[in-house]
Amino acid sequence: MKTAVEVEQLVREFKGGIRAVDGLDLEVHEGEIYGFLGPNGAGKTTVVRILTTLLRPTAGHARVAGHDVVKEGDAVRRAIGVALQEAAIDPLMTGRELLRMQGALHGLRGPEARHRATQLLERVGLTEAGDRRVGGYSGGMRRRLDLALALVHRPHVLFLDEPTTGLDPTSRIALWREVSTLHDEGTTVFLTTQYLEEAEQLADRVGIIARGNLVAEGTPSSLKERVKEPTVHIELADPEDAPAAREALAGLGIVEEPNPRTPTRVALATAAGKAAIAPVIRALDEHGVTVEFVEVETPTLDDVFAAVTGSHLEGAAVA
Amino acid sequence: MIAREVGALANRVLIVQRRRSQLLLPTFLLPLLLLAVIASGTSAGRGLRGFPDVSSYLAFVVPGTVTQGTLLAGLTAGIMMAADIEFGFFDRLLAAPVHRTSIVLGRLVGVMVLSVLQTIWFLAIAMLFGARYGGGVPGVLGAICLAAITAVGMGGIASAIALRTGSLSLLQSLFPFMFVLLFTAPAFFPQELLSPALHDISRINPLTYVVNGIRALLEGDRSLGSPWAGLGAACGLAVSMTAVATFALKERLRTL
Repeated sequence: MKTAVEVEQLVREFKGGIRAVDGLDLEVHEGEIYGFLGPNGAGKTTVVRILTTLLRPTAGHARVAGHDVVKEGDAVRRAIGVALQEAAIDPLMTGRELLRMQGALHGLRGPEARHRATQLLERVGLTEAGDRRVGGYSGGMRRRLDLALALVHRPHVLFLDEPTTGLDPTSRIALWREVSTLHDEGTTVFLTTQYLEEAEQLADRVGIIARGNLVAEGTPSSLKERVKEPTVHIELADPEDAPAAREALAGLGIVEEPNPRTPTRVALATAAGKAAIAPVIRALDEHGVTVEFVEVETPTLDDVFAAVTGSHLEGAAVA
Repeated sequence: MIAREVGALANRVLIVQRRRSQLLLPTFLLPLLLLAVIASGTSAGRGLRGFPDVSSYLAFVVPGTVTQGTLLAGLTAGIMMAADIEFGFFDRLLAAPVHRTSIVLGRLVGVMVLSVLQTIWFLAIAMLFGARYGGGVPGVLGAICLAAITAVGMGGIASAIALRTGSLSLLQSLFPFMFVLLFTAPAFFPQELLSPALHDISRINPLTYVVNGIRALLEGDRSLGSPWAGLGAACGLAVSMTAVATFALKERLRTL
């Protein structure tokens, strides 16, 4: 598998000795969506700025699309598309004018740039708004235009820095759909986010960054598996049935200790997750236990984050 | 490729200039207001001994307005550059495979075109109010060129300050200094009639040669100044300040 982004012992130190990135190593494979997850101030944006040649590393190496970000900055810039966290879009220009300008900056000739602008406005659903000044766009429209601007030259690697921060759920889902389409078309996407749901929905692999370093990496499911097994919670009709229920479930996983505050509740930790529901119901039925309802609690990326860093993500409650 | 980049960035300067009234007002209207005040308030100065023989007082002071326009156009370039840095548009440019020099040149070409439009506007309005240009079409064209080259120099200074500081408020605070530069040149009064101190300062102010050159071209009277000296001063400013701005950009990129 080819590598689209390769980072080795990357360090970025700011004035006052603050290390925003502290010996980071990571690899992003070609064609995958890599979710770079972390709270505000974890170093996500600094990493993106280094990878997009907007910031120089203090130490270490980074290669994007096979090019060194320091020595071959121009080649990197030709290969990448960037939508930064603060969508810097001139409010006095129209979406079409900005796309045509971006096209010219990427070497497209007049008619080609015009055609590409029309094509991209259609793609991101801004055809009608294309000739309006960006100052009148909603937050979601600006983000979609920002994405279109990043796609003008059909980049190999796309950097999206918190693309949905501050967006309403509808705009967020529309943007996710577009990112998924890009992924299907083979574009490598490096996505920073503080939204767990976003990383879960989009990312093939997730890297969790805290205090400038990668503290965990893997597919969302493998990361969650590492933390704890899913738990099946069974609500009993009669608290008197609890001992019988525990006995019935003993062979299906680890039955958690009874909690005196919830006498009608029995919890079973099992790697089978949702697949354990049918055997659980069958086993309880065989033991004559009446069940009110069953629910399965699966670990989240926030649990993973909490396990590896000791704190929770700020966006956990939001997403 | 560089021409396309420069063209695209210059076009943006003109679009933004046209649509941002805060920029349009000082660059196209403020110099005319000052011209109106000076032409009506100090026209008696024409009767002073030593005042050059010109077709009208208005025709004498119009070169000052044109030169003021170049200062304001240049300052606008710096303000836009600082705003781009402060609000993040500059990052968009840096993340694109744009030749770094194009970022400076695009802005300066935009300022040059802006200055051409300004000069035509000022000369036309002054003409409506009775100014006549004895230098004819060649003189007017020469004056437009001289002003445009000067504007590039002014844009270079302002861009360099923007690139070094990245501060929009600092650029905005430079506005009064532009007037100091203007009034230490014989923009609205003959150099020979300036006070001795001001006269000495005016000799080292490159705008003196520009404004006298424009005056000589418009009046068609070489005794008012040397267009070649004006061209030399304008080109010197344009080349040196473009180099300073380019160096400032390189420094900014080096210290990212």
